[in-house]
Amino acid sequence: MYPSMTDVRDVPQWRGGLASHGDTEDNNNPCNRLLPFPKLSLGQRSLLSHVLGLEERAAAARENRLCAAGDALLACHRSYKSRPTHGIGKFKYLLPKELPKRRKEKVQMKEINAGTEYQYGDINIQMTSYDLCLVEHFAQYVHRLCNRLSIRVNESYAMPTKTNEVLFLEEKGSKMQLDAVLTTHQRVVQICGLSSTFAPILLEIIQSSQPEGVHLLMKQHTEADFKSRLKSRPELEELLAEMS
Amino acid sequence: MAGHCGARAMAAPLARRAAGSARWVCSAAARRPWRLFGAMCLLRLPRITQPLEKEEEEMAALMEQIELEKSLYSDHEMRKLEEEEQLKRKMESLYDEDEARGKTVVMAQDLEEKWEQMFLRFKAAPRITDADKSNDRMSLNRKLDSNLMLLVKQKIGNQELWLLPQVEWQPGETLRSTAERAMATFLGDRIQAKVLGNAPYGIYKYKFPRAIRTENNVGAKVFFFKAFLQSSDLSQAELKADYLWVTKKELGDYLKSEYLKKVNRFLLDL
Repeated sequence: MYPSMTDVRDVPQWRGGLASHGDTEDNNNPCNRLLPFPKLSLGQRSLLSHVLGLEERAAAARENRLCAAGDALLACHRSYKSRPTHGIGKFKYLLPKELPKRRKEKVQMKEINAGTEYQYGDINIQMTSYDLCLVEHFAQYVHRLCNRLSIRVNESYAMPTKTNEVLFLEEKGSKMQLDAVLTTHQRVVQICGLSSTFAPILLEIIQSSQPEGVHLLMKQHTEADFKSRLKSRPELEELLAEMS
Repeated sequence: MAGHCGARAMAAPLARRAAGSARWVCSAAARRPWRLFGAMCLLRLPRITQPLEKEEEEMAALMEQIELEKSLYSDHEMRKLEEEEQLKRKMESLYDEDEARGKTVVMAQDLEEKWEQMFLRFKAAPRITDADKSNDRMSLNRKLDSNLMLLVKQKIGNQELWLLPQVEWQPGETLRSTAERAMATFLGDRIQAKVLGNAPYGIYKYKFPRAIRTENNVGAKVFFFKAFLQSSDLSQAELKADYLWVTKKELGDYLKSEYLKKVNRFLLDL
């Protein structure tokens, strides 16, 4: 619109110090720049504001000579030790000291099975199926049911999947082998603190809402169950055998 | 010993779901005016799932679609895609080097067709059995998708009533064994039923009519226990001829209203 509005020489060159065409306040006052050009289109105005922004930053950075070299858009607000805002974002010193965790497996806790309260200890509800989505959704349902009934759920975990290959040997003329690969998925929900008066009711609810294709098993938690989740270390066992 | 046994069984708080208000205050009287009975509610669990409601079906379809879209290709599907590409390449450019390899391998498409054939040959058992059609209430094959329970005709006082099998409690045994004995008297010894838990599920108490009532015999209390039938064939002869297997909805045809109310409280019909 007004081609003569912004002259290249008017834009301060931000290269190693300020442009030489005048360090006076007049030139750097933003208001002075705006006055000669009352009617501006949006594009021109944005260009001007860009120019003025550069000037303001230039003004601030002149105090700080150290970042004079660099790009025009570099924000120079680094907190140095002399600045009052030094260390403003630190918070780790406020947190309690964390001791390094020891890598040791906890042995399971066993509760009294039949006491005066008639409570069961840890019980595992194991759900097995070939269909992954089904068994996962059912495990979620059982977990939420226990939450709603205020039964404490210790853990809810999955056992590793087992893959079975099914081979059909057809003897109709030529011997053919049809393969089918079946994966068995197992989910376990561990609850604790089930009273013996409520246990049969819970079992009945879970039994009646069992979907088809899912095997349900409720048993008490034993050490063997706990160990089955851990991986065996053959080298360690070999070394132990050699030692003893 | 006898009184203590009975008192202890009664003092165990009945579970939340079964009877909200029944809390027994154990008054240690040696001789009680109530006669105790143990009754067994024998349930045959459903063998097939119930048909889905309309909303359930829509939900199931939606979930299946979501799962399908979120899932990754399985081995079989990857193999199928690769073989399709190989076929296309063969058609277009007529490679001869693939021939030596390709002929002996069974294609994934062939496998699928074989499986389709096997599936079509499979015939599922009917959901509605003959017993359903003839409404034979004495057979166990009826209503495969709901719980069936045993009702027996018993003589109480002068009347012949349809009841859950019950037997009087003898001093010196627990109420649960009374209920098991009741089951054994009506169905023979070799019944394979599993009782879960020692606590009764419900209680029905009634007072005898004025004519029979005495100082020591005010009325009777019937404690209900639940058992699940494990094996579905009852080849042993029934000792009492009048028995029925009914669902919860059909109970109303046979039981008296007060009795029915108490029984319905602990019957779960999901």
